Amino acid sequence: MYEFYPILLMLLVSSLIAGGFVLLAELLGPKKPTAIKAEPFESGMIPISSPRKRFSVKFYLVAILFIIFDIEAVFLYPWAILMRELGLLGFLEMVIFILILLGGLFYAWKKGGLEWD
Amino acid sequence: MENIPSIKFFYPEIIITSLILLILLLVSYSRKTDGWAHYISLAGLILSFIAVLYEVEAQETGIFMNLLALDKFSIYFKSFFILVTGLTILISMGSLEVERLRKSEYYAIILTVCLGMMLLSSSTDLLIIYLTMEMISLSSYVLVGFLREEARSTEAALKYVLFGAACSGCMLYGMSLFYGVSGSTNLYEIKRALVTGSVSPLFLLLAIVLLLGGFFFKISAVPFHMWVPDVYHGAPTPITAFLSVGPKAAGFSILIRFFYLVMVEGSQDVGWSVLKGFDWTMLIGVVSAFTMTIGNLAAIGQSNTKRLLAYSSIAHAGYMLMGFVVLNPFGLKAILFYLIVYLFMNLGAFLFVIAVANTTGEEEIESYRGLAWKAPLPAVAMTVFLFSLTGIPPFSGFVGKVLLFAAVIREQWYILAIVGILNSVISLYYYARIIRVMFLERPVDETPLEITSFNKWVLGAFVIPNIILGIYWGPLMNLVEESFRFIGS
Repeated sequence: MYEFYPILLMLLVSSLIAGGFVLLAELLGPKKPTAIKAEPFESGMIPISSPRKRFSVKFYLVAILFIIFDIEAVFLYPWAILMRELGLLGFLEMVIFILILLGGLFYAWKKGGLEWD
Repeated sequence: MENIPSIKFFYPEIIITSLILLILLLVSYSRKTDGWAHYISLAGLILSFIAVLYEVEAQETGIFMNLLALDKFSIYFKSFFILVTGLTILISMGSLEVERLRKSEYYAIILTVCLGMMLLSSSTDLLIIYLTMEMISLSSYVLVGFLREEARSTEAALKYVLFGAACSGCMLYGMSLFYGVSGSTNLYEIKRALVTGSVSPLFLLLAIVLLLGGFFFKISAVPFHMWVPDVYHGAPTPITAFLSVGPKAAGFSILIRFFYLVMVEGSQDVGWSVLKGFDWTMLIGVVSAFTMTIGNLAAIGQSNTKRLLAYSSIAHAGYMLMGFVVLNPFGLKAILFYLIVYLFMNLGAFLFVIAVANTTGEEEIESYRGLAWKAPLPAVAMTVFLFSLTGIPPFSGFVGKVLLFAAVIREQWYILAIVGILNSVISLYYYARIIRVMFLERPVDETPLEITSFNKWVLGAFVIPNIILGIYWGPLMNLVEESFRFIGS
């Protein structure tokens, strides 16, 4: 377990620094609240409505499809780095993996999962 | 064994994987597959079973670099899961509830659960255990919510997801602790690290309790049983039947493999003792007593048959856990035996619920009033299943229970045995209530109840093993004797 102490130390130091600065700003900083400052920060845009709106369930479908291919990319990277060492065998394994995923994409496409309406 | 030579011991799983992909590709083209997806599923399962039989002669070994084990134990469970899945498909074929669903996807997802269970029962690596558990869980969530138009099905699926996510989070944390002390996710390595290194019992307790969160969720033991009634009630009935047997057996398979590989010293032949005096048997013994007591007491007040059977399935998990704590092979063999027995009686009882609900649309116990006059043969079949679930001779449930209790008494766990026997008595009350409503109360109108001949035949087919295994259980016992052998046991 001893080899993990640096991580604990780093955790403590970083939370001390971050927490310390927040505390210092709270104690020492001047406070002049205005209406503009109290607005939620939206990357400089003016917020026009409540963020707690209901939005279409279709977004979830897109999100799920996105995650599948995101994970695929995660698996592709280590293979891409070791492609030469893994040789033909690794290539074939990857092809099978991608084909299975493509099967899923094909299903989603045929069943209208990629259409918005 | 390296990856490439391992493939030839992986045919059963490959067959099922290809089958799932095939169904999904076919259904992408045309909905016509809905008419025959169950036939190709059954054919694929039979093929896969033949492939499993070819593994029986193979040398016991770890395949895919010790990620999976090829041993008698995994072969037993693989065959068991193929059987459960096949029977579930048979039950689904006779269910009107399933008739209006997207059946191709339905069967493809059932096969996915089957694949996950087969892999789980042979996994010897924490990562594979987690992955296959999730494979089972995620597919079950979808199956539970398959009746999209019905609010109770969606509600059940959502509750199941939330509960399952919390439990698998717990389990993952427990696994990370095991990885922390041993530096490996492989069960054999973990065992070696635990035996040689110095680990504080408190740490071990924390890791075990967290890990058990995931395992107990799968076998629905107290205190991880809250999802069971709602999920079993909301799901399509064939899926309820499937969940009450399949994933539960998968949970038991990994529970046995993990604990009797990692958490014990000694071996099957010289006798087991707990690892470094860390007494996990007491912990699980208490859970077992609570599981059967809470399951049985809660079942008394139920008016819906599916909910009643849900609580009864919790209670049965408690009975089976009794065989788990005794640290001798008899208890574990009794669990393996009981799973088979439980499969036939529980699926049979659910099939009866389906067969009646097809015609009447009712699942309440009250709706069975006088059923013995309206549909005598199915009522008799249900009586056999219920007596078997109670454990009354000469039905198979009795033999299963005798083996469990014998193992518990042999190791002098008298209190647990007494709790178990008292629970069997309680269970007689609520099982007999269904029988009383069917036989002793006159129906309101005596028009015969239409039950399709397919369902009658399958019901009859379920009665046969319930009686045969109650009278002539030798062959199954021999099979279990031979099968209880896994690498490192």
